Amino acid sequence: MNGWMGKILRVDLEEKKHEIEDLDEDIARDYLGGRGLATKYLYDEIDPEIDAFDPDNKMIVATGCLTGTGAIAACRTVFAAKSPLGTVGCSNVGASFGSDLKYAGFDMIIFEGKAEEPIYIMIEDDKIQYLPAADLWGKDCYETDDILRERLGDPWKAKEYSIACIGPAGEKGSNIAAIIIDKHNAAARCGIGAVMGSKNIKALMVKGTKGIKLADPEGFVTAMTDVLEHVKQSHGSMESFPQYGSAGILHIYNEVGMLATNNYQTGVFEHAADIGGEAMASKHLRKIRACFSCPQSCGGIMKATDEKFMVTSERPEFETVWVFGADCGNNNTSAILKAHDLCNQYGMDIISVGNTIAMCMEMFEKGYLTEKEVGFPLKFGDPDAMVKLVELTCKREGFGDEVANGGFALSHKFNHPELFVGVKKLEAPAYDPRVCQGQGLNQATAARGACHNKGYTMGSEIFGLPSLGGKTDPYATEGKAQLTKSLQDATCVFDNTGTCLFLILGLWAPELHKQLVPATGIDYTFEEMMKCGERTWTIERMFNIKAGLTSKDDNLSPRMLNEPMPEGPSKGHVNRLQEMLPEYYTLRGWDEEGKPTDEKLSELGMEW
Amino acid sequence: MATRKEIRVDIGKCTGCRHCETACSLKHSEEGMVNPKLSRIRVFTDFEREMAHPIISGPYTDAKCTSRYNIIMDGKEYESCLLCRASCPTRPFFTEPDTEIPLKCDLCGEPPDPNCVKVCVHGALQLVEVEEDDAESA
Ligand code: SF4
Ligand code: SF4
Repeated sequence: MNGWMGKILRVDLEEKKHEIEDLDEDIARDYLGGRGLATKYLYDEIDPEIDAFDPDNKMIVATGCLTGTGAIAACRTVFAAKSPLGTVGCSNVGASFGSDLKYAGFDMIIFEGKAEEPIYIMIEDDKIQYLPAADLWGKDCYETDDILRERLGDPWKAKEYSIACIGPAGEKGSNIAAIIIDKHNAAARCGIGAVMGSKNIKALMVKGTKGIKLADPEGFVTAMTDVLEHVKQSHGSMESFPQYGSAGILHIYNEVGMLATNNYQTGVFEHAADIGGEAMASKHLRKIRACFSCPQSCGGIMKATDEKFMVTSERPEFETVWVFGADCGNNNTSAILKAHDLCNQYGMDIISVGNTIAMCMEMFEKGYLTEKEVGFPLKFGDPDAMVKLVELTCKREGFGDEVANGGFALSHKFNHPELFVGVKKLEAPAYDPRVCQGQGLNQATAARGACHNKGYTMGSEIFGLPSLGGKTDPYATEGKAQLTKSLQDATCVFDNTGTCLFLILGLWAPELHKQLVPATGIDYTFEEMMKCGERTWTIERMFNIKAGLTSKDDNLSPRMLNEPMPEGPSKGHVNRLQEMLPEYYTLRGWDEEGKPTDEKLSELGMEW
Repeated sequence: MATRKEIRVDIGKCTGCRHCETACSLKHSEEGMVNPKLSRIRVFTDFEREMAHPIISGPYTDAKCTSRYNIIMDGKEYESCLLCRASCPTRPFFTEPDTEIPLKCDLCGEPPDPNCVKVCVHGALQLVEVEEDDAESA
């Protein structure tokens, strides 16, 4: 095979042994790789009703068919499993783990069962070692990474490995635990870190010396350099992103009044200019960093300036700046860096931690949580309290033990489920769907729950990108079912090829197609490629249905549907999900209950 | 005066993306393989020390250096070999993993047309024209 390595590493954790098997070529062709491939294998191999921490749950690490080839920003890896939230869990990460996995010869690893005691697994081409990790258990992600690299001795040698590990949060089964790669990237969402912990895997190390074969190398280089040129012409990609990171667009969302603030009580944050990408860069940025083969370079190294929160951290991403900024009502950028760094250090999902803490702040201010319960006053805009609670959450100490269960569980335990903002138990991101109607539909229907990265409708509703069909009125529901569906399908193609979705400002699906054909040598038409995306969306849906989810779960939090935006340019708006959902089901080829119809499945060549 | 082309490396601009490694390896692979381990340019990163440093391979030397020194960077001590561009018997970099054949940058042919420079969008690698000094042209 070209593009793909054609091999799967199947690991039996209980026996600490493995088999190397051929990748099913038909499945690879139909799903491309990454998210689609992992979900298809999960669907075929596990009972979707299984408990996430049952040893029979499997954890799949999958790469895209372009990952590691040098295609633009094709660096992504997915970690997939039945999630602790009850859905199909699939978490996507950059850095170079997936590329290195391919250089080791594998498109995918399937972890089965559970190791008897903590282990870490070292993959060096075909040599797989299962090593004891009792001494690493309890260590945070930074310590773990340092220790494992020190064992390799020579710094160059140590650099040749990618390391994915969990921290105490994953070990202790937190619903919001992440997997951290090389200290600075995270496969964060859906509690995937807890699944890894339940399997007693502390860390995965991978190094490879093999090459990825391309079908038409010359054609590929021409296509790739063309696409690179295209990205270079994009202001968003090449001016804003490297300088200001993904948070460079934060002010735009504030200007339209959809920057969720104080647990989504409003969509305008008075200090937005103080925390946006530009402010963060001018105050803290030391060095720009990129994931593997990515020109956009949204990573970086930042240094705090407030001595209360002294830290050198990875440059926070848009969602991080939002959640520890606007959503917690905080304008102290050093505190944002500190909270961010703690989450990476202990292996936590930043969106979930921040969103849950913001909800607790609202509960505290409304008197639903007391100082006795929390241990200290917890008000919006108090950076000390915020950072303190992040730390407690990371360590599962005090009230942090409650936060570590995630917002959904906490809101129920303290009897105010109406204050939880999320979908399918997953805490919501920054984009208030009372403004962008399509985004509401996207979050309501995404398989893993409230996730902007499954269909970034703002590309059209706010930015009006020509590649996404131009500008649509954010407040209108008309046409949004179609917009959402096409964006969701195209996003699957990004995830399946292993391309970073952040490239949305600079490239779109046609550019992926350009590189896909010479890399794989398969003559996909553009429509066929997009069908691979639709198939992915459908298999995720089928998994969730078998897991027991219904159309009732395609919903938004009551605040989004019933509480009009109180102020700002979007004052008075709510999300009108019901105006879009039936049409969306029809376009998807799903019945009124949200189940894919037989006709749709046969059109996609799928079956239950 | 005669001129020649060479690559100028601006480490401050390097993001550590390693796109150059993929491009170089593909250019030199007869079978159409992308494999950074066969690249003639490798990027060393230590982001905690704000460092991303591309190193372009030079000639093979068959003996290790008899004198070595250490460099302290932001509090961390590294051997000088870290940033050396030679492939030598004591350092496995810039040699083919299987055959141990040394890898050396050839500027992608004559006239130079470096593939690594083409993908380096941040200008960390640039092809520049320099005057050849007398000793070299002689
Ligand atoms: S392509 Fe340029 S920026 Fe990227 S690692 Fe190579 S030298 Fe550095
Ligand atoms: S000039 Fe050519 S041979 Fe030399 S490092 Fe760059 S791509 Fe490799």
